[in-house]
Amino acid sequence: MTIVRKLVPYLIAIIASFAAAGIFIALTGANVFQAYETILFTSFRTPNGFVQTLLKFIPLTLQALAFTIPLTAGKFNMGGEGQMIVGAIAASVVGILGADLPAVILLPLVVLAGVAAGAIWGFIPAWLLYKFNINEILTSMLLNFVSFQIIDLVATGSLRDPVAGHPTTVQIGQGGFLPMLINNPPLNTGLILALLVAAGVYLYTTRTTGGYELVATGANPRAASVFGINVKRMFVFSIVLAGAIAGLSGVIEVAGVQHRLIVGLQHNFLVLGVIIALISRGNNLAVPFVAFFIAILEIGASAMQRTMNVPIEMVFIVEALVLLFVLLSDVVRRR
Amino acid sequence: MEKEAILELRNIRKVFDKNVALDSVSFSLYPGEIHGLLGGNGAGKTTLMNVLYGLYRRDDGEINFHGQKLNIQGPRDAITHGIGMVHQHFLQIGNYTVLENIVLGTDVSHPVTMKLSAEAQKIVDLGNRFRLPVDPNAVVDTLPVGTRQKVEILKALYRGVEVLILDEPTTNLTPQEVDDLFESLRVIVNEGLSIVFITHKLREVLHVCDRITVLREGRNITSLTRAEASEEIFVRAMVGDQMEIEGSVYFSHGSMANTAADESAIPALEMHDVGLKTKEGISRLAGLNFQIRQGELFGVAGVAGNGQRELAECVTGVVIPTEGKILMKGQDVTGVSVCELLKDWISYIPEDRLHDGFLPKANVAQNLILGYHRQKPYCEGSIIKWDTVYDKVRGYIGEYKIKTNGPEDPGGNLSGGNIQRVMIARAFSMNSHLMVAHNPTRGLDIPSMDFVYNKMLERKETGASTLLISEDLDELLLICDRIAVLYRGQIVGILDRKDFDKYAIGRLMSGIQAEETADLRAAS
Repeated sequence: MTIVRKLVPYLIAIIASFAAAGIFIALTGANVFQAYETILFTSFRTPNGFVQTLLKFIPLTLQALAFTIPLTAGKFNMGGEGQMIVGAIAASVVGILGADLPAVILLPLVVLAGVAAGAIWGFIPAWLLYKFNINEILTSMLLNFVSFQIIDLVATGSLRDPVAGHPTTVQIGQGGFLPMLINNPPLNTGLILALLVAAGVYLYTTRTTGGYELVATGANPRAASVFGINVKRMFVFSIVLAGAIAGLSGVIEVAGVQHRLIVGLQHNFLVLGVIIALISRGNNLAVPFVAFFIAILEIGASAMQRTMNVPIEMVFIVEALVLLFVLLSDVVRRR
Repeated sequence: MEKEAILELRNIRKVFDKNVALDSVSFSLYPGEIHGLLGGNGAGKTTLMNVLYGLYRRDDGEINFHGQKLNIQGPRDAITHGIGMVHQHFLQIGNYTVLENIVLGTDVSHPVTMKLSAEAQKIVDLGNRFRLPVDPNAVVDTLPVGTRQKVEILKALYRGVEVLILDEPTTNLTPQEVDDLFESLRVIVNEGLSIVFITHKLREVLHVCDRITVLREGRNITSLTRAEASEEIFVRAMVGDQMEIEGSVYFSHGSMANTAADESAIPALEMHDVGLKTKEGISRLAGLNFQIRQGELFGVAGVAGNGQRELAECVTGVVIPTEGKILMKGQDVTGVSVCELLKDWISYIPEDRLHDGFLPKANVAQNLILGYHRQKPYCEGSIIKWDTVYDKVRGYIGEYKIKTNGPEDPGGNLSGGNIQRVMIARAFSMNSHLMVAHNPTRGLDIPSMDFVYNKMLERKETGASTLLISEDLDELLLICDRIAVLYRGQIVGILDRKDFDKYAIGRLMSGIQAEETADLRAAS
């Protein structure tokens, strides 16, 4: 009963946002119902559509978690994209340089390198916050731009694939590929990694003393510190953990999907991750479900653009409106 | 009644969300009387007066003033009608002079040049007339609380009010200042004004008020003249039937048996020359030397802001003193973190419950285990056992009468008094050698205060000690074995129970003795 009652505002928000966005779609001259049918059902029509949705779901979930974990402690990690990119860079550099190593050695190395790189990228703003009290929103965000330059440098440098038209590195060694769950359409084991991480984060924040301290820190840092919790350490820990998870999403893109480093692999993941995290209201259990829903919209939107010539940006409007309406339902409920 | 009421409130009703704060409350005020509005916390006293003063809009009922219906839109409107209110927390600009604070927001005779000599004269005259002597050119920040209150009363009188509402005016005053205040109030009503005196302290009301109205849970209970009633009747009216007055600590007039603490045992707490300086080098605490014996209830009195908070935080390990040593049961614990001390050394009820003790975004259960979450039986290794926690928490909710929907209710849903109950339940839930309680009964109704006092007295039986830091001197006199007085970060005197004297403590609180001894030292 309570779960149903909790879901009602979401459903209303979704319906309301679809209705509102429908006006814009109608203005472009397209058939609104057909457009929505494409958006909602592309993912379920073909096996390929479903796998594509899952492949989108993996980074979206991880990016959203990279935002919700620090949010639990009351901090904002705006550097998920940068952490993903450095994770991808580290994974591909290790994967290319160690191309001859056997899978048992190379694959763990690739994964570890990416996760560690993401964690380090998260540690920089966390340390600046710890040591000098510099706002983590600013520093984590700015580090994204640094990572854009680094990926350009790596993808156009000595590891560049000369035959590719787009800045791209050569393929990483076969041993660094994530094993496949299904070969055709291709679905890698990154899905399992993402689900394990999501479950682990949920269990950690709800069941353990460390997770409790994270929640207490976010609820009232002053009271938490009066009662013996080292809140500054919780801040650092949460942002570093977020960086590691974002780094993992970069690893999966490289080792699971592309098998090489491609400039622009981050798409819009930061913004979408934040939207997912906020629609979930920071609830780690809700994140995978919301992420799956957004993945459906994303895949449906590209199909809509291909078949109906409705610009893909239309789905951004829907996503933004869902968030707005969910936030609005909070205000309405408080009245 | 021979006299016509100047002000009548009839059937006032005020509802916050689903909470009925006032349920058809009536109140009348005659010219030239001091009317006490008595009741425990949450009885609706302040709400009623805020409705009158225009801070809250009433949901139902009417207000008659001089026989005419009045519809007050806001405080400014109330003042133009001649109704003034002095709040518990003064609304003053600290670095302005008394004169500037008083004339702020009124028309002055020379608005361009701001020559305020005429206004200053008026204030001096008012001060003389009502026995509220204040130097109009003094800067407010430099004045003691008692004088700042006089400024606040003058502010209302300057605006020509006929009805003056005082909300808990004696909080933070020393006993001497309270006597002064009462004297001025008498002068004011003799001049024909009327005063509403809001308080939860029965003895004050009986001392100064002509008529007394008792509120409980948002309802009128009774209205009586002082001559008509005995203390008994008011006590019963305030607390209702649910409380056993015979066995109560609150109404015991401090006649409880004073079980001697064990003086031979190692003291529970020893402070050796403890001092605390801020980063800027300003001294907050200096040269604190005292011991708390095992099984002793040790009180610290003082006007708020004289280092109480710093003292509590030094003892609990929240801040580390910059000088001196702290020993607990003979063991040096200087610099040991709160986290460690919370493991059966100390328990802590912080003063500022909202900022220092409560997690509004977390649920009741999460709040109740804060600080103890790494201890048994709440956790096993690094896993929190929520089943055990919820079981325990349900017990606390019942025992401490926390009004909530259950352990998973968000903390933000609790009222101030219930948050305080959470603080208390948490502090008493685990064994500790020393409890540091800072204003623990603030915001509680009388039965709950009594409950806390009983709990503290129970601790004595087991040999556990308590450091009770309180702004409520009556509370300290009631239950403490010894009282130390804190003034400007120093202990200016420690009194044994047999030497307890309200006025002696009051002198210490206002620093009089300290200055005298300093003078003596300088002379010798």
